[in-house]
Amino acid sequence: MNPPAPAQPVLELVAPGLLASLQDQGRPGWRRFGVPASGAMDDHAAAEANRLVGNATTAPVLELLLQGARLRVLRDTILAVTGANADANVPLGARITVPAGGHIEFPRNRTGVWSYVAVAGGFVGVPLLGSVSAYPRGGIGRALAAGDVLCAAPSRGKPLPDSAAGIPRDHSVPPPLRVWPGPQWEAFPAASRAACFARPWTVSSQSDRVGYRLAGEPLEPARLQLLSEPVLPGTIQVPESGLPIVTMRDGPTVGGYPKLGVLDPADISWLAQCRPGQAVRFQLMA
Amino acid sequence: MIPRVVNWQPYGPDALMFEFAERADEAAFLRARAIAAELERRPPPGLVEFVPGFVTLLLVFDSAQRARLPTLGPALAKRFGTVKPQPLSAPVLKTIPVTYDGPDLPRVAEASGLTVGQVVALHLAPTYRVYLLGFAPGFPYLGGLDARLRTPRHASPRPRVPAGSVAIGGEHTGIYPAASPGGWNLIGRTSVVLFDPARGTPGGEDAMFFLQPGDAVKFVPAAA
Repeated sequence: MNPPAPAQPVLELVAPGLLASLQDQGRPGWRRFGVPASGAMDDHAAAEANRLVGNATTAPVLELLLQGARLRVLRDTILAVTGANADANVPLGARITVPAGGHIEFPRNRTGVWSYVAVAGGFVGVPLLGSVSAYPRGGIGRALAAGDVLCAAPSRGKPLPDSAAGIPRDHSVPPPLRVWPGPQWEAFPAASRAACFARPWTVSSQSDRVGYRLAGEPLEPARLQLLSEPVLPGTIQVPESGLPIVTMRDGPTVGGYPKLGVLDPADISWLAQCRPGQAVRFQLMA
Repeated sequence: MIPRVVNWQPYGPDALMFEFAERADEAAFLRARAIAAELERRPPPGLVEFVPGFVTLLLVFDSAQRARLPTLGPALAKRFGTVKPQPLSAPVLKTIPVTYDGPDLPRVAEASGLTVGQVVALHLAPTYRVYLLGFAPGFPYLGGLDARLRTPRHASPRPRVPAGSVAIGGEHTGIYPAASPGGWNLIGRTSVVLFDPARGTPGGEDAMFFLQPGDAVKFVPAAA
């Protein structure tokens, strides 16, 4: 039996841009200790990048916020870039080989919010509670900084043929986001329930990995005092202000705001890619 | 024994929320614990995790169970209704030294009509119970706060609360394990590290969390 091949340094982060971190598909199972699952904001794009280079969809990827990141390639590397369009100097949604010495740049954001880089074999990170996803705010891992060198595990998988790549999403025109009634659905005035789905909402600039705030005409809030209870990502919470806050991957595990609805898990990725100022609509399921 | 009514409802396509009590008291805590023990003994197929609240319990399933949840909901509600809460035999007692110099001490004193000295004495007096961990890794919601110290949260949260801050939020007291935004009233600080990933050992990750649900907590004045 051959010894396992060691991890190899493949990329140096010359500049992290607005925020760079390693993410995978998260660490479910620890919410009762206050630990959110975290994981790639756009799990669809992260999985797609991994598929393109032959990784399991759960392999760690590099997640980049909006723009400004620069990467130096340390050895000939098979990689894929998916997610937001940040005017990168490599094609989006394709498997490519970048030679040693090359650079990958994300100079200016055009559409979407989060970009993903996957390398064949997957990035190597320090797993904690079953995941390498960074969640610095909660004391798990850290954001990446200039000078960090990222290593790849040996590649075992078979890359997808290029023809099998999915059609890239146009993040500037998200579909209506599917929403299921939330635990306090019945406590909201009927007018609020209707208005939530009739009105367009705008993603506020006060949005991050914890939650996306929505701007628009306020909803009449639910009239109840709620004891803190479990909250899932994608939940549309309506505080007293009437302006919804949608919890995201690093959102608190419990909360006391009434929950009008919850996004279908498959549509959280669409909301994640909505930039501040982007209009979104909700569509009621069930 | 007459089964208790446990309400349930779907929370999205892959999760069920159960409500097993009306008030966040010791009885509700013991009931949540008994239901959790029952789930650990006989987990329903495809259960990813369960998350207790004060009077609620969330069950998250893998998406392969989606079609079964409408029938699983009422079946589990019935099962949870017959669970018998057991008193805690000997809770683990954790002592936490606190320096009472928080910026909201005057606010809590004013709300209660007490002096700062009285607020500190009343906060030191009880033995608290960790009802649940939530909000952030290792953040304890402690029950047993003297009713006179109940203080509403700040209408708009502080952008940054330092790690180790001891705080009062409504009828609970708690400790911020890491620096984060927060709306609770800050009355003191502790150097005890509530969440330390380095304390984990393979298979024993619970050690990362200084406090566990059910632990008894006693605050003591920190040595000057």
